[in-house]
Amino acid sequence: MSSLISRALGQPRRTSNRPQRAGVRRTAALAVLTLAATFGVYATASAQTADAIKARGSMTVATEDDFKPFEFVDNGVPTGYDTEMLALVKKKLGINITQQIMPWSGILPGVTTGKYDMAVTAVLVTPERKAVFDFTSPLAQSTTFYAVKKGSSITSADDLVGKVVGVQTGSAMLADLKAFDEAMKKKTGKGLKQIVEYQSYPEIYQDLALGRVDAVANTQINLNSLIQTRPDTFVIGKPIGNPVYIAWAVKKGNPGALALVDGALTDLRKSGEMYALQKKWLGASFESMPQSIN
Amino acid sequence: MTAYDYWSITRGALATISLSLVSILLGVPLGLALALIRWARVPVLSRLVYGYVSVVRSCPTVTLTLLVYFALPQLGLSLEPTGAAILALTVSTSAFNCEIWRSALVEFPRDQYDAARAFAMSRWVRLKLIVFPQIWRASLPALVNEMTLQIKSTPAVAVIGIVDITRAALRVGANTYQPLPPFIFALLLYGVIVFALLRVQRALERRQRVSGAMA
Repeated sequence: MSSLISRALGQPRRTSNRPQRAGVRRTAALAVLTLAATFGVYATASAQTADAIKARGSMTVATEDDFKPFEFVDNGVPTGYDTEMLALVKKKLGINITQQIMPWSGILPGVTTGKYDMAVTAVLVTPERKAVFDFTSPLAQSTTFYAVKKGSSITSADDLVGKVVGVQTGSAMLADLKAFDEAMKKKTGKGLKQIVEYQSYPEIYQDLALGRVDAVANTQINLNSLIQTRPDTFVIGKPIGNPVYIAWAVKKGNPGALALVDGALTDLRKSGEMYALQKKWLGASFESMPQSIN
Repeated sequence: MTAYDYWSITRGALATISLSLVSILLGVPLGLALALIRWARVPVLSRLVYGYVSVVRSCPTVTLTLLVYFALPQLGLSLEPTGAAILALTVSTSAFNCEIWRSALVEFPRDQYDAARAFAMSRWVRLKLIVFPQIWRASLPALVNEMTLQIKSTPAVAVIGIVDITRAALRVGANTYQPLPPFIFALLLYGVIVFALLRVQRALERRQRVSGAMA
């Protein structure tokens, strides 16, 4: 239980901590489900097999609300690349998918405790996370870039030496930025002045606009979205990391949900629908990604 | 910010108000009950209340919310986000309210209670007519203070998907990449809510003074 708390509380986005698998006691579904209709209480009988999900006819997934362009809320309607992909998957599978929208900090505990079958959000696939989660077939690919305020003197990655850079705490982008810092120190003897860690990106963009940080590190996709919305204020820079895959995460040992969704995703790639949505939301399509990354 | 953005944050305010209101309406009497158990030194129960209050007071509302939402299902009780939020907020505020009521009870002159007993008043009548009006008057400012804190701790339940004022403002900021305007509007809404609460407190205190003068 204490691991649950510390994990949930200290859980920054895309963290590399290894959540331990909580001993989930699966409750007898039927009796409680009957109660559910009356009292609004429902059982969390997490699915183990594809058949179980099909028999149940439904799946519960958790989605974020502030990670544009992957998932965000526009005029009260959840939208973004992942949300539209999920709608296609739902149509393909013909099962009911309940989408619960919550902040990142609630999503991983929800998946590891079995409350949700899957985290339908842009999870960057790192070796540390592979130890805890199984990932679906990749949905996108991205590289960590930096962005600066318009008119900044920083014109190449080398110019970041001696500068203050903001990044989300515990993220895969933070790991990239640290590796970049080390590489710079080795090459030139000097690295970044400071890495400032934030809870989420809207705050970093605000501080960048205010001049409290000199640059921000995030995925190219997210930064492109930022530049599109505020071209008057920000400019995207150069890559500072290597390409990584982005996929949906399932608790290890839940092959049912994974197999079902993977099947649908493969079909959507074959039909080109996935690439169309990638172009629409991410500005590019990723056609050379592998089928499986586990 | 579009008109819809303002509307979405205002809808968040409705969530903040209703969650705070329900948890306050449940938490204030619950706190009184807990305080009475400790005041009356009910065996066993009073120790349990002491433990409950100590644990809950040391537990941040976010942690409590995560516990209720994610840990209780493992004990067989799975709540919807709204139910879990109300439970977490009620548990939290009841512990603080218990201490507020208890401090008034500790200060309450016990001889009055004994005198009422000498007049053969039943326990219920003693509590209702002698103890309660006095501790209510003494506790009101602290209770309202706790209510304002309660309103401002509702963003904690956003972690399980409840969209309160702060979360609604964050969502708007994450979409427009301009976080300042929604937050200023959110601040305004919190101001209005707390101001309204303070007006209620003033009205209640004025009524007390009038009834006090009559008595």
